[in-house]
Amino acid sequence: MAMTTAEVVDRLEHETGNALTTVPAGERDRAIEVPLSSFNGMIRSLCAEDEAVISSLHACDDRDSGGSLALYCVLTSRKWNGALILTAPTGGQYPSLTPFIYSANWYEREIQDMFGIRAEGHPDPRPLVLYDTWPEGTYPLRKDFPADTKVPLASSPYPFKVVEGDGVFEVPVGPVHAGVIEPGHFRFSIAGEPILNLEIRLGYLHRGVEKMLEAASPSKALLMCERISGDNGVAHSLAYLQALESDTEVPEAIEYGRCALAELERIHNHLGDIAGLALDTAFSVPAAELYSVKEKMLRLNQRLTGHRLLWGVMKVGGMRDVFTPEAVDEVQRTLMEVGNETDALVQRMLNTPSYMDRAETTGRVGLKVAKDLRLVGPVSRASGVDADIRRDLPYAGYGKLSFRVPVRTEGDVLARMHVKAEEIKESISLIIESIDKMSGSRAPVDVTIPSKGVRVGIVESPRGEVLHALHFRDGRVIRHKVRDASFCNWPGIEQAVLGDIVPDFPLINKSFNLSYSGNDL
Amino acid sequence: MLIEVLQMLLILAIAPLVTGLIRKFKAFFQGRQGPSMLQPYRDLAKLFRKDSVVSKDTSWIFMAAPYVCMTAVITAALMVPFFTSTSANFLGDLIVVVYLFGMMRFFLALSGLDAGSSFGGMGSSREMTVSVLVEPTILLSIFTMALITGTTVLGQISESLATSGLDLVRPALFLAFAAFFISTLAENARVPVDNPATHLELTMIHEAMILEHSGKQLALMEWSSMTKLVLYMALMANIFFPWGIAIEISAVAIGIGLLAVLIKIFLFALAIAVIESSMAKMRLFRLPNLLTVSFTLSLLAVVSFYIL
Repeated sequence: MAMTTAEVVDRLEHETGNALTTVPAGERDRAIEVPLSSFNGMIRSLCAEDEAVISSLHACDDRDSGGSLALYCVLTSRKWNGALILTAPTGGQYPSLTPFIYSANWYEREIQDMFGIRAEGHPDPRPLVLYDTWPEGTYPLRKDFPADTKVPLASSPYPFKVVEGDGVFEVPVGPVHAGVIEPGHFRFSIAGEPILNLEIRLGYLHRGVEKMLEAASPSKALLMCERISGDNGVAHSLAYLQALESDTEVPEAIEYGRCALAELERIHNHLGDIAGLALDTAFSVPAAELYSVKEKMLRLNQRLTGHRLLWGVMKVGGMRDVFTPEAVDEVQRTLMEVGNETDALVQRMLNTPSYMDRAETTGRVGLKVAKDLRLVGPVSRASGVDADIRRDLPYAGYGKLSFRVPVRTEGDVLARMHVKAEEIKESISLIIESIDKMSGSRAPVDVTIPSKGVRVGIVESPRGEVLHALHFRDGRVIRHKVRDASFCNWPGIEQAVLGDIVPDFPLINKSFNLSYSGNDL
Repeated sequence: MLIEVLQMLLILAIAPLVTGLIRKFKAFFQGRQGPSMLQPYRDLAKLFRKDSVVSKDTSWIFMAAPYVCMTAVITAALMVPFFTSTSANFLGDLIVVVYLFGMMRFFLALSGLDAGSSFGGMGSSREMTVSVLVEPTILLSIFTMALITGTTVLGQISESLATSGLDLVRPALFLAFAAFFISTLAENARVPVDNPATHLELTMIHEAMILEHSGKQLALMEWSSMTKLVLYMALMANIFFPWGIAIEISAVAIGIGLLAVLIKIFLFALAIAVIESSMAKMRLFRLPNLLTVSFTLSLLAVVSFYIL
């Protein structure tokens, strides 16, 4: 049975032998202040003993209220019933966690970019988020950086890793691509066709989302959260609301309605992903048919909510009442059709040797790599990681809904497709079940905005775990941390392509289908 | 000579239509309406009106390549029998035709390398990997037909096959045809070897080589590739199944010949669309397997001619 986070804190107090200062973090989660000297040690021992993982590592500038540049580490574990947040004040530097827990890597580089807090002993302290023209020594998320600052252009070419040897070429791809996709730079080092190394450079879509969110009212922030990564708008707004409403009781019908909405989003995302796999292998007929099934879902969304990507339905303290009795009939009918058609099309792809030859063994990610990088979502579940926030740390109505979490162990393109195809089935039954359970008031409620402390909302988006952390002071948000699933999974692509050949990269990339805008913020 | 020029002009004129036809078939299989069959003409007309952007790092080869490619297909179009078996035989025989295509490929690959972009280089290297096996296959399969008919002149191959009824039909013909058909897919950047509809730079072969071309040069590159596809179809139609082709120059014979070749091209376009719609593109490293199969088929064709 799961340990409560209170028990974990008790145990930590017992182990360290002195009382730990707690920070308000809502009912389920616990936040504790620890000295910087024991910050790393405690995280390492929790990860080792309780199989905890880092769900977020971020900073918050508390200096103008007498605090410091503080680090916050959000830990989650299947063994706990909530998240445990450790915070430690820093004086601008701290010993790096990355040499011990590799998944801290990008977080620490991000903190260095945005706050100028250095991770001492980090194996790869290059910039991560900010563009090459960003001047050194300018840290946008510090409080002494006004949001409307005009930043002068500097020039510091990004030092890519160099692979040398006979016949080794570098192939730069992007950030502008031939198709209509988001910008990202991929630097391949190849010997002939086999890929020796891949470095992914992102950040071209950095819009200052987190800075803007700090100044936004709750309804404005909700609007912006929906637009962080457009196709995962429901997941992001739900994660935000989970954090914001953690001191508020939301009506049951709303909780179920939100689940139904999130699953609708999952279906059209996964359909698009599977169709993309067919398209990228030039398997044009199933691709076209799968896209038409996806279109069916988008049109259902449109009729249901007035928006093809389900934006504008979530409200602070509730949601628009879109699941009316008339609409429910249509939802059920369309979902049955979509389920059957998807099954048949997926079967057709699986029965085609030429497609199977492309998908099997391509882009493999092993369980160890998946765990070390702390991959999330369908990508991790295709590599044998049995984790799904909907089940492990239930939010909204998921605790009272029944569903299976499909897990495969092969870790290749095919396994990722299998996981997504299975998840579509689960989502269909989840939607029908949660609409069924919607009873009682559907009216939005007033939300009690927490006055201080930190609240986290963790949600399983179609791409995996999404986290929003809100830091409150005097009833206002002073820091809004957003961590998209893609932020965890991008380093996974760098590993997945090793040993594969260049022409298979687009297929591997598609099987991950990560968000650039969600990552770059 | 007039008839050869007419044939050549006709081939050049219908080339975009054939590409449009394949796209229309594919759209049909995908349940789409698809663009009009005339769209490739509009694309070419648009490109011919546009200015070219040329990288300053290129040499004369980059600018010459489109003209070399176009010249190669025009010359080949004079020599390949289309609706009559009369063709410009004085220019040379089947070997010349095969190596005109070889020259085209050579300049395509050079111009891909010339701009120094990484995609062009990858495209050229892949194209050469593919052609190493395709070129001998094509030669061997046409040689089979030369052995059957006793001549290496393309027009005479058609003529003797068309006039001798079923006497010259042997197993070797079908083996050679199968080999030639696979090579046609490989040489013309079709699925399962290449994907003519992709925008993914990293998987391209043919498209990667012409990625740096723009404007008129791109139009010539595209047009010469479209014409090359029709020429391969005409070779398949008139070398392996020439029945219906005009032997003498008369209005009726030419009418029948024209109809026959157009029907055959229609069927080949349909076959290509069916193949492209029913399978995924192969892994690059699996291509040698497929091409080796086609080479073996052509080798068997030659061997079976002597044995059977």
